[in-house]
Amino acid sequence: MSTAGITADPVLLKIDQAYHKLEKVLNYVAATFLFSLMLLACSEVVMRKVFNSPIPGQADLVEISIPTMGFFGLAYCQRMAGHVRMEIVVQQLKGRAHWLFEFISNFATIIICMLMIYGTYSHFLRAYEFGDSTMDVELPIWPPKLIIVFGFCILLGRLFISFFGYWRLLMNPNAEVYAVPVTLAVEEIAEAEAEVARDAITDKDVDDELERR
Amino acid sequence: MIIEPLTLGIIGMCCLGVLVVIGMHVAYAGALVGLVGLVMSIGITKIIPGEGGAWDAFLAGFEPGIGIAGIVPFAELAHYSLSVLPMFILIGYLAFHARLTQGAFYCMRMWFGGLPGGLAIATVFATGAFAAVSGASTATAAVFSRIAIPEMLKYGYKPGFAAGVVAAGGTLASLIPPSGILVIYAIIVEESVGRLLLAGFIPGMISAVIYAGSIYLRVKLKPELGGPTFKAPWSVRFKALGQMWGIVAVVCIIMGGVYTGWMTPTESGAVGAFVIFCLALAHGMTWTQFKHGLTESARTAVMIITIIWGILILVRFLGFSQLPGELEALILGLDVNRYWILLVILLMYGVLGMFMDAIGMLLLTLPLVQPIVLALGFDPIWFGIIVVKMVEICLITPPIGLNCFVVAGVRPDIPLMDIFKGIWWFFICDVLTVALFVAFPGIVLWLPNQMFSG
Repeated sequence: MSTAGITADPVLLKIDQAYHKLEKVLNYVAATFLFSLMLLACSEVVMRKVFNSPIPGQADLVEISIPTMGFFGLAYCQRMAGHVRMEIVVQQLKGRAHWLFEFISNFATIIICMLMIYGTYSHFLRAYEFGDSTMDVELPIWPPKLIIVFGFCILLGRLFISFFGYWRLLMNPNAEVYAVPVTLAVEEIAEAEAEVARDAITDKDVDDELERR
Repeated sequence: MIIEPLTLGIIGMCCLGVLVVIGMHVAYAGALVGLVGLVMSIGITKIIPGEGGAWDAFLAGFEPGIGIAGIVPFAELAHYSLSVLPMFILIGYLAFHARLTQGAFYCMRMWFGGLPGGLAIATVFATGAFAAVSGASTATAAVFSRIAIPEMLKYGYKPGFAAGVVAAGGTLASLIPPSGILVIYAIIVEESVGRLLLAGFIPGMISAVIYAGSIYLRVKLKPELGGPTFKAPWSVRFKALGQMWGIVAVVCIIMGGVYTGWMTPTESGAVGAFVIFCLALAHGMTWTQFKHGLTESARTAVMIITIIWGILILVRFLGFSQLPGELEALILGLDVNRYWILLVILLMYGVLGMFMDAIGMLLLTLPLVQPIVLALGFDPIWFGIIVVKMVEICLITPPIGLNCFVVAGVRPDIPLMDIFKGIWWFFICDVLTVALFVAFPGIVLWLPNQMFSG
């Protein structure tokens, strides 16, 4: 591949990498929420069944944890091309036509993201001004609503980086691919799955298993 | 110019089709069409008929339309029942490291190794057992490619046959709880998560038995495919059951918790995940592996959560447009047997599955298909199981057939074509299984009905 792309436009690459670090951190936050959710639900079972004293407000916490988790990891998932889509047509296209389609769908995603920021922000604002709270222990519900707006904003940043990334590729389809989500082909997804299995089950395990006979 | 809501609905669905085909993410395409559709639907009710065009309608509906869409992410996601999904996803990722697969395979070999095609039968039952701690078909196929295929090849099984067994066995994970896809179905059609999870159990086992039976028959007819290995004495067989305790514990927690109502599905999932987590720690899961499993779980959860809110915005718009109701009336007006309509729906899933991932396919179609199926008098729980079974069939048929690709990814020495050839028989088995469930819905509905009859 030509290295001209990197020297010609290193700023975008640097921004992409720096932004990806931020996305990773936010995804860790989402992962922490996920793990805490497990611990919380387990504690609730123990407290309720063993000590007969349910944790006050755990259902409220569980409920607001889902939007929180879902929006902290939103941009990371976008960058890792983790969202579901139909790839069979786009994958067939090569070069400029391919990048054109990617550019269009990225642009459409920018539009929906901006509209959603507007919609969720006014939703947050109402909750904040009226002081809405959850059913059971009356936790204020504006913080998770604000997190949704925040998640969309971070996603918007990622989409703008992809906007320039796709634009660059549209102008110069043979340049090196960076700053855009890289979609994996079916074979590559399968390879990644296999990689995890290999990581989890080492050759030694297979040998042990054979010896056990 | 004034547009009927119904026309708007049809235009919206056509736009959605185009956006999805050009590769826009299903979640965002659904949200975009839903949001613009909402704005227009509200707008056309506000402008005076005969005056103003589409643009005026758009402006008139802008604020209220976006207002409705803006509520959806929080209002639809802050539901207790949704929280079971991340738990099941976490179980799936941690189960890799808990060394449950080897134990299951060993135990099943001791029990079934003496039969014709014994190792293949053992593989099917071991994948079925592992499915009880994992909701992901591809992951199950990947793990068993690693441990079961080398064994089968060593005993002279044909590579394509061995690979086919593993690819087909992997699909059991989407039926046997914990199953992510059943939870998603339950949420979209607003059915009880617990009932659907219970409903998947018996059909999953029956699928495994049918697979095993077909292997037995095939090897009987064609012994060179792979013979019996050795017959273990009964004492060894019972001792081998000890290898299964981790899986049995998780099955008891999840099924027992949901069935008795002792725990909510979320709590059952969380306790199950905790047990698997402890097992994984005991088997030396490293910090890196744990971190990787957790971030991947988060990413998968985000993907599913995103597509759920995206599609639910679309559903709000479809409600405004009355499209589902009109479509339902149209189909009910057809003077044909309801099973023909069901057949057409199932074939449609078969075709769609060739182009799309299971979750995207279900979420895009269910808002329109589900009301029709209900109006035809089919049970929603039963239909969920049938649809998931169709999705599984798509996982093993070309051109996408992800499970076959996964097996080929782990075993590059086995050509993909051989795997697709090896899968052929299991495809017939699956079609027969679906026919069986259609003919006898009681098989699917017995267990969930037990739960709520008392």
